[in-house]
Amino acid sequence: MAISKSKDLLSQLSQLERTVGEYSFEDLNAHEAKALKDSFNSFRSSLEKHIYSPNLGEILPERKENNAINKKEVSEKQFIAHVSHEIRTPLNSIIGFANLLKEEKLTQGQHKKVDAIQFASNTLLKLINEVLEYSKISSGNNNFETVDFNLHSLLKDVMFLCETLILDRKIELLLDIDEDVPKIVKGDPSKLSQILLNLLGNSVKFVEKGYIKLEVFTKKRKGNDFLIEFSVADTGIGISEEKIETIFNGYAQAENDTSKKYGGTGLGLTITKEIIDKLGGEINIDSTVNSGTTVRFVMPYTLGANSSSYQKSIKKSTSTKDGKILAGTEILVFEDNKMNEHLIVEQLTQWGCTVHADIDLDKGLYLLSSRKIDLILMDLKMPGQNGFEVSKAIRNHKNNKVNSVPIVAFSADFTEQDSKDCKEIGIDDFLLKPYTLDELLNTVVKNKEDKKERTDFSLILQKPMIEPKETTVVDLTYLLKDCFGEVDMLNELVKLFKLNAIEFIGNVKINIKTQNLKEIAMSAHKLKAGFAMIKADGMRNLIVELESCCKTNQPEKVKDLYEIFLKDYPLLEDNLNKNLELMNKK
Amino acid sequence: MGNRVLLADDDQLLASLLNFRLKKGGYQVHHSSNGKEVKEYLQNEMPDIIVSDIMMPYCSGIELIDYVRNELKSKTPIIIISSAGNEQNVLTAFELGANDFITKPVSPTELLVRIAREINK
Repeated sequence: MAISKSKDLLSQLSQLERTVGEYSFEDLNAHEAKALKDSFNSFRSSLEKHIYSPNLGEILPERKENNAINKKEVSEKQFIAHVSHEIRTPLNSIIGFANLLKEEKLTQGQHKKVDAIQFASNTLLKLINEVLEYSKISSGNNNFETVDFNLHSLLKDVMFLCETLILDRKIELLLDIDEDVPKIVKGDPSKLSQILLNLLGNSVKFVEKGYIKLEVFTKKRKGNDFLIEFSVADTGIGISEEKIETIFNGYAQAENDTSKKYGGTGLGLTITKEIIDKLGGEINIDSTVNSGTTVRFVMPYTLGANSSSYQKSIKKSTSTKDGKILAGTEILVFEDNKMNEHLIVEQLTQWGCTVHADIDLDKGLYLLSSRKIDLILMDLKMPGQNGFEVSKAIRNHKNNKVNSVPIVAFSADFTEQDSKDCKEIGIDDFLLKPYTLDELLNTVVKNKEDKKERTDFSLILQKPMIEPKETTVVDLTYLLKDCFGEVDMLNELVKLFKLNAIEFIGNVKINIKTQNLKEIAMSAHKLKAGFAMIKADGMRNLIVELESCCKTNQPEKVKDLYEIFLKDYPLLEDNLNKNLELMNKK
Repeated sequence: MGNRVLLADDDQLLASLLNFRLKKGGYQVHHSSNGKEVKEYLQNEMPDIIVSDIMMPYCSGIELIDYVRNELKSKTPIIIISSAGNEQNVLTAFELGANDFITKPVSPTELLVRIAREINK
């Protein structure tokens, strides 16, 4: 199996080689051109060596230790993983040098050919990543979970996500869930949405007009065990009879020109079938050229309990219109899977966010330092530089503007180790794939708000805390300095201050009855300077407010403030006496 | 003999402090706490500098400046003590011939510097 996959890879490679071969490197005479050719040749020869090498043991040093029974299978998986890894390195140089070539002064023809090289290389890279995922699933490395989840909600959410994929065409999206389909089932919600998104994604790609319909019903039931059938029907280009037979057999697109027109690597259905097989289901395809395709698959589920964690998380706690609170938020998205990236960008944009996607670390760091980014969404399992590494680089960046932006990680599986790593690196939160729109919204809002709260909190910390006893604080050290340290003078001034205060109290008492606010204002004005001298800023503010309430004719407020003054002034005088005593002792 | 300062301020507290500091600074201080008293004093004696609060009973700082400049025809420097929010009055004071102003809360040290500067002009 693995060998045949790798041979498919080779056929893809020879296509790339043809493109490179047509390229007139001699005309260019550039250093990059030679380097590109060299790296391509070494890439090809090393790949050929690995694939046709009779002795796999060379690259599998641990082979001898393997159990004899599954030796062959394990070798194959490891071989795939190994080769995929080895392919990536030279492939990256091909892509890199092709990028450099584009910077040179090229004729239009040369430019087109470099484009072709880039396109083929990128396709190849995608294919390699999918081969890796395939080998992961078929070797059982991919984790499956069994949890209770709300099947109906999941189906609705998947449909909603698909709606966001259709931008330029008018296609009807229909969802029909039979009433005998249980709401809460036990199974793997993450894998089910992966399957559905893959199939619906295919339909979206191939349907120009008409509809895409997802139907779900119970095919068999035995007590709590259900066999549920899902069918995705579309009015797309269809697949010819002979191609249907081979469609699940690894790399195979319906027609040779399919990928040219519709893109894709052809591994999507293979991966889908692998997942369904692993989960004990079955898949088949029914199609007529030019009229449409129906993909059906059945999956076994058992009835779930109503109080489940997944159901809880899917609960609609925020409605979509609340997305408005995100308007103006600027978000970086690190996600290598184009479909996921498209979905998330589409959704965030609908919520009014500015989104930067399709970025690598360097571009990300540049954006973080040059723009005001509110949040980073980070796929943890990216090929090449993974989310952990990218997050680490951001957190370790010396610019505070860059390293402090909240990071939300998302991943299809999230182990305890991942959680530890996240904490260690400084990732703020995570989203488990597949997430619902509400979960996405909530998480984005929460982490954006967290940041806001943090800044608000730091602002509060910068300001002096407003305590209830603020109006009783005094400090005589400044006044003592003004008295050249002469305590007698200070005592004299404090005595005068107290007289002023008593005079003020009496004055207000008389004038508040007759509501003579003008007189109260004068009295308050006179007292201000005294409170400033003994640094009783809290009480001074109160007097200032009292004075301004007099001027704006608010007798009730004046009365309230005067009452506070009456209550707090004795406490202030206590502090004043204590303070003075200290100075006298010195 | 030190320079003579007329300190016109009805705030006993501030006046006490300024009085104390001016004397320490070598000035002879005459303190008066209302406008009427100030006018009577000026009829008999002209100090080297006048420091006056802009708000005083019976005769405001503004009236005092007008009296000194236009009735007594004196060019004795005048420094006005104003409080925040009295910007318009300060402008009027300057128009009438005030030489400088200082805003409450008054720093005695600053006031002494301003006084010395006016006297040494």
